[in-house]
Amino acid sequence: MTIVADGLVPTISLEGARKQRGALTQARIRWMILAVILGLALVGGRLVQLGLQETDQTIEGQTRDVITATRPPILDRNGLEMAVDIRVPSLFAEPRRIIDVEEAVRALRTVLPELEEEWLRNRLSGDRGFVWVKRELTPAIQDAVMRLGIPGIDFITESKRFYPGMNEAAHILGSTNVDNQGIAGIERHMDGESVALLQELGLARGNALTPVELSVDMRVQHIMHEQLVDAMTRYQAVAAAGVMMDVHTGEIIALASVPDFNPNEPASALVKDTFNRITAGIFEPGSIFKTVTIAGALDSGAVSITDEFDARYGIRFGRYTIDDFHGKHRILALPEVYKYSSNIGTIRIMQAMGKEAYRAFLSRMKFDQRVQFELPEMRTPTVPNSFSEVGAATASFGHGLSVSPLHMVTAYAAFVNGGNYIAPTLYKRDLSEAERLYERVISAETSANMRYLMRLNAISSGGSGSQMNRQALGYRAGGKTGTAEKVVDGRYSSSKVTNFFASAFPLDNPRYAMVIMVDEPKAENPQSGTTAGWNAGHITGRVIQRVAPMLGIAPDFSELLDQQIVPPAVRRLYPEGF
Amino acid sequence: MIRSINIFLLCTSVAMLAGVYALKFSIEGTANERTALAAHIAEQEGELSLLKADWAVLNQPGHIGPIVQRHSEELAIEPVKQEQFGSFAALPMRPAKPDTAAMDALFAAIAEGVDPIDAILQLEGVE
Repeated sequence: MTIVADGLVPTISLEGARKQRGALTQARIRWMILAVILGLALVGGRLVQLGLQETDQTIEGQTRDVITATRPPILDRNGLEMAVDIRVPSLFAEPRRIIDVEEAVRALRTVLPELEEEWLRNRLSGDRGFVWVKRELTPAIQDAVMRLGIPGIDFITESKRFYPGMNEAAHILGSTNVDNQGIAGIERHMDGESVALLQELGLARGNALTPVELSVDMRVQHIMHEQLVDAMTRYQAVAAAGVMMDVHTGEIIALASVPDFNPNEPASALVKDTFNRITAGIFEPGSIFKTVTIAGALDSGAVSITDEFDARYGIRFGRYTIDDFHGKHRILALPEVYKYSSNIGTIRIMQAMGKEAYRAFLSRMKFDQRVQFELPEMRTPTVPNSFSEVGAATASFGHGLSVSPLHMVTAYAAFVNGGNYIAPTLYKRDLSEAERLYERVISAETSANMRYLMRLNAISSGGSGSQMNRQALGYRAGGKTGTAEKVVDGRYSSSKVTNFFASAFPLDNPRYAMVIMVDEPKAENPQSGTTAGWNAGHITGRVIQRVAPMLGIAPDFSELLDQQIVPPAVRRLYPEGF
Repeated sequence: MIRSINIFLLCTSVAMLAGVYALKFSIEGTANERTALAAHIAEQEGELSLLKADWAVLNQPGHIGPIVQRHSEELAIEPVKQEQFGSFAALPMRPAKPDTAAMDALFAAIAEGVDPIDAILQLEGVE
């Protein structure tokens, strides 16, 4: 530029023109800088505005993440799915975008006639941005609604819980509500543990959640459920329930209670009498409690397995006389007291132990508190804090106190597994883990005696478990019957009874304990009775017969196994052992 | 010189403008493709979840049990009984050593043309 200026413009005016130009350029630069700053300020302002803006992610007060949150699948101990998540379409509307409400209502009701017209009209009118119309529909209905082509109506995919086993494991699994939150059973427990937290943090999305493995074996669960449902018709019972537990690890293998509900329709759980009788039902256990009394007395050393007890006459407490049902009315040895289920004999055994020691033993077996267990549906047992003479006498044969069947199965497991109390669990637990939780409640020697008594009751003639053993021959099962009379109008009724059968198998090397309960059974046919051996005993036998092969227990008919569990002290008295 | 630089700069700007536009459109296309793929994946995941649920239903003992019962007569099947179980211990032991005398006698008989199996087959009328 300077070269051109030097050559063409006169020197004097050159200085002025230069200055003029320089001033102009400087002004232009200033304007330019101002424009650039303004532009940048505009961009910056817009950025701040965008940053401050909150996009509405909520759906009727809940975040989208919660709606589409998933739950981990639940598997049984063999990896079979017990609960899975499925994606289902849910219908929503944006009322502010609906042009003709009347037409939309009419069209929607052609596909979903169950929607009430008035309700739907109110729902679709107004200026709201989002309302649910109907949640969790089928893909077929989704297609039909899409074909209607109503503006302002659309679908969102939600996760829905599905239980492929239907009713079978209903009381174990519980159910979830429409927002995929657990409302009962293990689903509720899982929420308390970790799932709720994951969902809250927004981590529970997609299918990435690790499956939860339960201790339940669906094959055994199926047999148990099938037999209980069969019992309802066979014995015209009001209810039936059963639970099976691994005696060494405390894992619950099967747990069922009928009448039950379909967890896929949570509303069916609200029907009366569908509560979980194993955990949330407390009953007078009746004679299956004699096992507890005898175990406590044997362990205290107050009685020995060969002692004899006078059961010739009933025992008087003031105005009451306690007598035996089908009594022998002679002097009975301890194994005979157990076998003939003698009330008199059991009271004498308890009295030899002393009622305070007996009450302390019940506390040691945790009969006066809830069982430590995952299901939220639990009831506190009612066991008096201290026993009167007559209270202790009735308690010794299972009356005047109420405990849940879960208490009983846990106690029986401890009696046969060598004397260690282990709290039941629905999650997988291996032996080393369980051994850390063991609490010794009776000695190993007492446990061996209890195994003998339970097996004796099954195989000796006149034993109350013989009906069970006929069905489960070869599986070395044994147990105790319990027929508890129900209280009707303040009195014990002999026609309405709750029957129990508590058992364990195989008794030469116990692995499983089981309690079966039948509520108010009738005789199957005119030849059969209504006592526990006829119904609860039969069910136990049939269940063992079906599930033992599944659990890897081979039948063995050799008498040697039964002879091996006879304690030496008994053999000195009765050489044949049984 | 300046002219040519200007022309060159102008050309580069136009070329870069075109390039940026093309890039923008291709990115929009990719984004669309991605959204479509995500929707497709979501749809297939939904279908997969249904199939998995189906599979779980079909595998339930509660589903298989009634089918077995329905066909138990045709297939002549029933729950296994205790007596049907055996053990390895119950199998007879293999003889300590082969019965050579009997084998020799058998081979001698076959060499003479007398096949003991033939006799059994003829007895039962099998050719």
